[in-house]
Amino acid sequence: MSIKLGSSELAKYPFLQEASEYIHETKFDFEEFNRPEMIHIINRAAEKLESELKGNVYSNLDEYEIEVMTFMVSLLLIKSIGLEEVSRKCSLFEAMRVEKFLTTDLSNERSIEKKRLLVQKIFLELFKINIDVDSTSSICKLSVPDYLQRASKMNEQEWKLINRSVKDGYVYLDTDETVRLIRNELSNLIYSRIKNMKIVEIPISIKSKADELRTKYSGRYVYRNQFKILEYPPCIKHAMEIINKGENLPHSARFMLATYMLAIGKTVEDVIDIFKNSPDYNEKITRYQVEHLAGKKGSHIKYSVPSCDRLRSEDLCFAVKECENLINPIQFGRRKII
Amino acid sequence: MIQVQNTEENINFLRNVFRKYYFENKDFPYLYSVEKREFGYRKFDSLVIRHISFKNTGELVAELVRNVPLDVYYSNAYYGLPSNPINEKQWEGADLIFDIDIKDLNLPCAHEHTYYICNTCGHVNPEPKLCVNCNKGKTYDTSIPCKKCLTSIKKEAQKLLDFLYCDLGIKEKFVEIFFSGNAGFHFHVNDPSIRSLDSYSRANVTDYIIGNGFMCESIGVRKYRNGFVIKLPKSGIVTGWRKKIASNLGINQKSELKLKKIVEASGGYEGFRNELKKMTRKNGVPIDGQVTNDIHRVFRLPGSINGKSGLTKAKCDDLESFNPNNEACMLSDSEVYVNPKTKLKITLKNNTFRLDDALEKVPSYVAAYLICKGLASISNAQ
Repeated sequence: MSIKLGSSELAKYPFLQEASEYIHETKFDFEEFNRPEMIHIINRAAEKLESELKGNVYSNLDEYEIEVMTFMVSLLLIKSIGLEEVSRKCSLFEAMRVEKFLTTDLSNERSIEKKRLLVQKIFLELFKINIDVDSTSSICKLSVPDYLQRASKMNEQEWKLINRSVKDGYVYLDTDETVRLIRNELSNLIYSRIKNMKIVEIPISIKSKADELRTKYSGRYVYRNQFKILEYPPCIKHAMEIINKGENLPHSARFMLATYMLAIGKTVEDVIDIFKNSPDYNEKITRYQVEHLAGKKGSHIKYSVPSCDRLRSEDLCFAVKECENLINPIQFGRRKII
Repeated sequence: MIQVQNTEENINFLRNVFRKYYFENKDFPYLYSVEKREFGYRKFDSLVIRHISFKNTGELVAELVRNVPLDVYYSNAYYGLPSNPINEKQWEGADLIFDIDIKDLNLPCAHEHTYYICNTCGHVNPEPKLCVNCNKGKTYDTSIPCKKCLTSIKKEAQKLLDFLYCDLGIKEKFVEIFFSGNAGFHFHVNDPSIRSLDSYSRANVTDYIIGNGFMCESIGVRKYRNGFVIKLPKSGIVTGWRKKIASNLGINQKSELKLKKIVEASGGYEGFRNELKKMTRKNGVPIDGQVTNDIHRVFRLPGSINGKSGLTKAKCDDLESFNPNNEACMLSDSEVYVNPKTKLKITLKNNTFRLDDALEKVPSYVAAYLICKGLASISNAQ
């Protein structure tokens, strides 16, 4: 028996393959957006975008054709505005909108077959994650490697494998958790669609709306927050104490210390100086390694400070009360410079 | 690592018995995809050479017989260009490897068979302090694991296998167990579906095996204002760590009230969290996380000699019956004279040797074992 998603369901997921096919089949021309009857689509897309920029998920849902068009115009508007922060924020809120619909659909759907189809469309087609729906419990399950590839990038401790229901190589997740698992990827997918859009000419109606929005929002996104560190986190203090005593620091702790110091703005020379008291100090090797971590050697990628979670795994965490809710040592003792 | 007390005579002796072993054991049957691995070795002067590759096992054996290293390593990773610098190797995936070491079990018997050897003069000290002989050198420790050590580590190994097979669903055919050649076991998992996991994913697996980071919420205890509430997870407490903890606490999906009483008896949310930490550490396996998480690491080559003991990294087909002192002791039987530095008793290849600190005639495999451990020197006596 072949089961298909209906247009009311597809309206919620305008980024699926079917949406592109729809545009293709109707032989829609971008110039048509300049026609007066299309203005409501452009206004709707702008309304959605503004809602997202204010930090709200746009929850109005219209017919399939309207939704597909609105989605397409939204992408064109964002591309045309050309502000990185707008692209990032709108991608995230578009993902949260999908997340909301998907959670409801999966929770309310009684047919296991239809639930499987929906899961397959979103997860397998878009993200190559093979998720199955357990026939008896209706709970979603995915293989441990598939789970790890997603969950290991999430900072919340609840996503650690140890906190999951795991059996026979599968991780079992309820509906909310399954959908949250792809939030970041969905956001990245939408973001990359915006980035990769190659448009020779944007219709004038959309361009003028984009100009209007850019003028309105550009002022809000011109600055970047700057911070200064008032106190080192306990993990760094501990590593510094060991170094200062002239004792040997394990490789993982050296990595943490060097990446941290580089991240807070210390120079390569400053960092090398810190290691001078190590019992096995060798300037040539230390310089090479610190320059490597700073992205000045080898792959030219600057290494990030390991997360608190990682440091806990490596027994390098000496958390104090102020560490609560931090996900990376870099957040400790940080104050915004106004 | 071979230390300062190894004189040229000791090194020459070890090189000869190691060379004979590599000349006679050319197969390395547990080395797969040799052309995709990075190799490295430690020379007798402690210098480590890395970033070398071989087209086949024959080339590798020729190198081992020619150069006779103290230790031989190969990468868990598969590379397109294994001999290139690390960022240009074209990483294609890596086996998942677990390492359990007797030392990490902190066993009470350790002091009975641990020796502290001076880095400067090689004297065997009774305690890890400044050398009593030369008053100059710091000491390093060496150990001759006992039967209790072996029983304990096998128990941990079995726990690890249960995690791998029952929870992570790894098929037995993908898991190979090796005695490390000294005081531990290595578990090589070469399941193609996990080869592409990055080090963050591997760290997640490490924490699962060790029992690191289990939250009270996962068993249904949530922090609420100054107290707590009980809300069992929708996805149940009948699998994975949740099952282990539930079983330890004696609760099931309907035991909300019992769980509430347990938490209260532990002193509330924080007290219960501390209890959970102890419980998870007890039920977890103390693997070396850095070994598992590293996707570019070089590991001791299966079938090669461990320079810390003269035993080989041997395949272990039956964990329960495996005796490393028999099955991993592969060096020559020809007899040589040694000067033991202390009184000791060891059993190798089913033969027990009781040695005083005086000249002794022993098989080469015993001499190599003691010299590698820093507990004897070769003698030129005929």
